[in-house]
Amino acid sequence: MSYFKFGPNDIFYNQIKAYPKCEFLIYDGRTYYNNKPELTGNFGGNVLQMDSGHINLYELNVDRPAGELIYPFVVKDGTLHAFKTVTTNAFHNDFDYGDIISGSYPLTATITRERYASGQPRRQIESLRNALNYHKVLTPNYSYDFFDTEELNIINIPSIFYGSSIKKGSVDLKFYITGSLIGRATDKNKNGTLIEITGSQADTVGNIAGIVLYDEGFIILTSSYNLDPSTSHTEQYDPGGGAESPSWIWFGAGMQSTGSIVPSSTVISSSYSISFEGETYTPVITMHAHARKGMLNHSNNPTYIKSGSLYSFSTSSVRYVESRQVRVKNIVSSSHIGYSASFEKRTYISKIGLYDKDNNLIGIAKMATPVRKREKDQYTFRLKLDV
Amino acid sequence: MATTFKTFSNNDIVSTRTLLHEAIPITGSIISGTYGKWPNEDNIKNYSHGMFQSVYDYPYLSSSSNHLFDITCGYSGQSVLSSSTNVQNSKKINLYNQMAQVLMGHSTSGTIKEFEIPGSKSPPTGDGDGTFTHNKMRECYFFNFSRLLVKDEIKKGSFSMTFMTGAAVEAPQNTHDGGTTAKRVFSDAGAQNNYFTNSPAGEYAILTASSAAPETAGGVNYTQDRVGGARTNYAGVGLVFYQAGVAVISSSLFWEHPEQRHHDYLTLAAANKIMIASYPPKSTFTFRDMFTGSVISGTTDGLRNRIADISFNNTTELNSTIYFCRAHHNEFNYSSNPTYLDGSKIRVKDSSLDQPVSYITTVGLYSADNELLAIAKLSEPLKKAPDNELTIRVRLDY
Repeated sequence: MSYFKFGPNDIFYNQIKAYPKCEFLIYDGRTYYNNKPELTGNFGGNVLQMDSGHINLYELNVDRPAGELIYPFVVKDGTLHAFKTVTTNAFHNDFDYGDIISGSYPLTATITRERYASGQPRRQIESLRNALNYHKVLTPNYSYDFFDTEELNIINIPSIFYGSSIKKGSVDLKFYITGSLIGRATDKNKNGTLIEITGSQADTVGNIAGIVLYDEGFIILTSSYNLDPSTSHTEQYDPGGGAESPSWIWFGAGMQSTGSIVPSSTVISSSYSISFEGETYTPVITMHAHARKGMLNHSNNPTYIKSGSLYSFSTSSVRYVESRQVRVKNIVSSSHIGYSASFEKRTYISKIGLYDKDNNLIGIAKMATPVRKREKDQYTFRLKLDV
Repeated sequence: MATTFKTFSNNDIVSTRTLLHEAIPITGSIISGTYGKWPNEDNIKNYSHGMFQSVYDYPYLSSSSNHLFDITCGYSGQSVLSSSTNVQNSKKINLYNQMAQVLMGHSTSGTIKEFEIPGSKSPPTGDGDGTFTHNKMRECYFFNFSRLLVKDEIKKGSFSMTFMTGAAVEAPQNTHDGGTTAKRVFSDAGAQNNYFTNSPAGEYAILTASSAAPETAGGVNYTQDRVGGARTNYAGVGLVFYQAGVAVISSSLFWEHPEQRHHDYLTLAAANKIMIASYPPKSTFTFRDMFTGSVISGTTDGLRNRIADISFNNTTELNSTIYFCRAHHNEFNYSSNPTYLDGSKIRVKDSSLDQPVSYITTVGLYSADNELLAIAKLSEPLKKAPDNELTIRVRLDY
């Protein structure tokens, strides 16, 4: 086996930018992620041990009975490692050194909704104050002053759904009543402002529905006008309030919320759709491995030598001599029956090994099919490694 | 941006390694009987090459399923079972050789070393009842666990496999967790301090009979070795390779024709024997009949039917470097932040006699060329004044 060193122009570091698409449908207190149905397992409950609309980080506990779940644990030691769910106080007071600190799977995430009535305290918005004001250069609609006391509807999107950022202009909100689209809002100007582009009444098209914080993963809706005045449709979007007309303030009512939860079978005529694209970056190492002319034309594979021409050697205290009679098999195909083609050294490259500076094999690249290498051939193999 | 740089001394940097574990229970109900009627479950994938079968935790056509392990079997060319008339004879020998050369390596003469319980002895001529003639594991089942489950390695001392006994095929399958069927447990108990390192695939230990199951007959452990006519306390029936994530089960696990055992054990009543299931027809076959007369997938099907439980803990190494960032009493009491000054005066001082005060919010880690490499943020700012000193512990996980 031959070793070759990568030259300065043989290794490139790049990154792949991808746009994973996410779509949520919310109906009757249930959220559905990318149209995945709920699957009931053989041991009761959901196959992935979570409600619909969630994403499962490792997806390890698939259709398992209670008590037979995979779970992580660490032993408390001097490195002070513990799970994020263990508070500093609990770590020091509830566990002795040598104790087992257990976690649990699955670890899940989903989109959630918070609604703030006018004047209601809103720590979540206060924590976003700098982020909101930072984006004011794009549009004044980001100004914190618009959100500190007004009635608000906030959709939280965990970053596991979108990666580094939500793609600008990709957010698409749709509000349905009994299956009919009554309002649709997108960021058609790609400046973070959600504008109603389709509605049941012409005069509301072009109105501002809210804003999107693309890097932070928040959609903040502020418009409270009736999206469907023609039918006078009302529903009890707020479990503590009366029947209300559909508006962007009530968009998503029924999805998971830390505040007042809308029970199922309460909002049965309204459904909502949220779709967007994320932005993810995958670092990639590209390596060029060269098989130059006159090189890599010999193999140590036992099948490389002619049958019956065995490797043999003799040794003594002063010498090691290999047999001179080992003959390389001629595998050149002849064009004529009964006539052997002229001998030519020929190998087939089937894999490329990557070694570190200490000659440890750290990676193998395999060909889909072996590549014929003659002495006159010259190849460059392009290896890509996602890291 | 920092205006003061401090250089770490050797006492300020320490590397640590933490072991994160996961408990992996694989119940027999996953391995057979839940996703279809044995042996045709939807979570068992067989291949046209017929050299092994894959076990998933859910029907394998579902994107939710996870690969748990592959199971296969084989025997050495030296085995008494080896015969050119056997079904898939060459494949079984090739599989054994492949596993053996990876896990056991080669001898000094270049031949593949057969599996062997470390420490076991070749029986002398005419030993005991004369039924066993070597100490090699020449007929084996192989469990290759998925890297998803094993992670970096199996935790030593945590591996166990439980098998059901008896001749009934259907009943054990339906009572995997019911406990009505007698079970035998084999584990690597004590392997934390008693493992072997002479494998090219890493560390390994012996799977031995556990005292938790009815292992004895007539008050004697049935898996005891009988070497030189005297029974020892040795009871190895397999090996578990921790870094490779492979368990090797030998023919000695099964009540069977004695000639292929690598050690002898007592004859047991049928209810206490581990037998291999067969279908069709539903029956229990002897180990020899299955290994010689059945395809690999059928032989592994038979063993799946007898598995009550597999469990182990995996290990993931978390490597960290801890930087102790020390702010002495006379350091970091001022800030270059523009808000620190108000009209050329320090904002946090009311008079010239007041002590300077700053609030540490961030620690930057710089290279030797003063390039910012990483930033550590504090959950809340720390007050720093000349009358206090701080050591901020910055941990970098890889």
